Amino acid sequence: MNNKLIELACIIDDDDIYTNLVKRVIKTKKLCENLITFKNGKQSIDYFEALLQNSDNNKIPDIIFIDLNMPIMDGWEFIEQFNKIKNRFNKLITLYIVSSSINPVDIDRAKSLNSVKDYLVKPVVINELENIFNESV
Amino acid sequence: MVQIKMPPKPIDNSIGYLELKNNNIYCSKVFLSDLGYSTKNKKISLEFFLSNLIHKDDSHQFRNNYFSFIKNSIDFRQSMLIESKNGKYKEFVCTTNHDNINFSNNRAKSKFLFFNKRKYKTNKKVKRNQFYYKETAEMTSTGSWYVDLVKRKSYWDQQTRRILEYPEDYIPSINKSVSYYPEAYFERVKNLFLKCSIEGESFNSEIKMLTKNNREFWVKVMGKPVFNDKKKIIGVRGIFQDIDETKAKELSLQRTSNIIASQNKRLFNFAHIVSHNLRSHTSNLSLVVELINATESKEEKLELINTVEDIASSLNDTIEHLNEVVTIQTSTNKSISPIKFSESLKHVKTSIGQIITKSRATINSDFSKIDTINYIPAYLESILLNLITNSIKYKHPERDPVIKIRSYVENSKTVLEITDNGVGIDLEKFGGKLFGMYKTFHYNKDAVGIGLFITKNQIEALNGEINVFSEVEKFTTFKITF
Repeated sequence: MNNKLIELACIIDDDDIYTNLVKRVIKTKKLCENLITFKNGKQSIDYFEALLQNSDNNKIPDIIFIDLNMPIMDGWEFIEQFNKIKNRFNKLITLYIVSSSINPVDIDRAKSLNSVKDYLVKPVVINELENIFNESV
Repeated sequence: MVQIKMPPKPIDNSIGYLELKNNNIYCSKVFLSDLGYSTKNKKISLEFFLSNLIHKDDSHQFRNNYFSFIKNSIDFRQSMLIESKNGKYKEFVCTTNHDNINFSNNRAKSKFLFFNKRKYKTNKKVKRNQFYYKETAEMTSTGSWYVDLVKRKSYWDQQTRRILEYPEDYIPSINKSVSYYPEAYFERVKNLFLKCSIEGESFNSEIKMLTKNNREFWVKVMGKPVFNDKKKIIGVRGIFQDIDETKAKELSLQRTSNIIASQNKRLFNFAHIVSHNLRSHTSNLSLVVELINATESKEEKLELINTVEDIASSLNDTIEHLNEVVTIQTSTNKSISPIKFSESLKHVKTSIGQIITKSRATINSDFSKIDTINYIPAYLESILLNLITNSIKYKHPERDPVIKIRSYVENSKTVLEITDNGVGIDLEKFGGKLFGMYKTFHYNKDAVGIGLFITKNQIEALNGEINVFSEVEKFTTFKITF
């Protein structure tokens, strides 16, 4: 097993219970150095746009897990906004959709997007998370 | 008075005639027997002949012809219907000169009117065809019409008059055509007609017409241009068919189908919500269980068990919301009763009195136009409650909430409008999701995204409609059409 850790991961999800559980998994399994969380797409886009102003590379996540159903700005809208700015970061950011939706329409739509690495259906299992983090290093 | 005397000896036994000598009218035997009268029994004046024997449609023309013949010797030829003794009309052609008849000199001072019975061989066939056309027209409730663009006159057949409830002698007029259609359809009819009379485009459309008694009913109207030899459009001809009954069935079928479609849509949504919202809890549960198993420390295990409690409680909330939705779907048509907006609002104000006072909200209501509707009282209260608390929840940070509620009638439907002076909603961004379940647009921590979803469902379950108008930072208006 590779000892090198991902520097920063990001979770965008309005479900506090879920976010806390994933935090715990990451902590227990020591999957990354740092983790930031946002409650919806708008919050995270605001964060990314602020980063572009002061170009602080440490605060750019290597990996983003995003939910689909969220208030204010949902996952789809986030991806649309994020695609507009992601090339301005000098870092490759991997995007995963994590949703409890098993609606084939959502899954097909996600697979058609180049910027989305994969579509994970909740519940995510610990193993799955471990693999994703290890692959991304 | 001109008397009819016994006729002189007939000149030609096959043709009836009237001999007009001095002031007397002599009637030939053949003419009398053609009409079923005995040759001995009648004294008939000209007036009687004109007003009782000749069909009223032909009488006027005959009178003119007769006097110009007597006074100015102007010959004429006119076909006319004459009533015979048994009450049936027979068709004659009346002429003033007859090539085949020579009169002796002593009749030089007489003038003659000859009456040839019309008996074309084709007559029967035409009559039979007319019979079939008439039957077809009657059985299919189809009347025909013609608009003469040159003379600027319009014509209807009897069936059209019957369908439109006009008397048999009614003469339609282009100028009055406004009165043949309800206002809402007049523009459309005019366009169809103009396109046909100018561009020669035939039409076939379903519209509403107005009878003389102002009854609205559905007709199929078809029309096509009529051309002269030079291929110029000189008229428009077509039919009106009464399709009121069929159309009523079609419309009710359409309504039923719409209701089923919207019920299906709601069911589909519901199924989606159920699967999605329940899944998010079960997936959290699975993750907790997995974590508990993967954790060595007892303390951490206990902590994780606490999380199960949180999951259980939010699962409970979800199920309660779903239950509310199911209740809406099943309780329609139950307990609909007359209810006053003012009463309903009073109840709501009482139950959320604390919230209203705390937020310093003002509620102004005006139900003077209409105060009572037939509705499920619990729904009306729930609708008012949701919209009022919504307005308070999303009040503008710089001003106290003012909520205006009014009711009125629009297109014969009752409308309830609730307007606030709150933060407003960016409809371009959120309009599509406004009424979705668990959709919220504000950072308020008590925004759950269930109120408007329930409200919309309640309104739609009773075939109503809810629309929203808003300007960010200024106002939000919810308009409910019952």
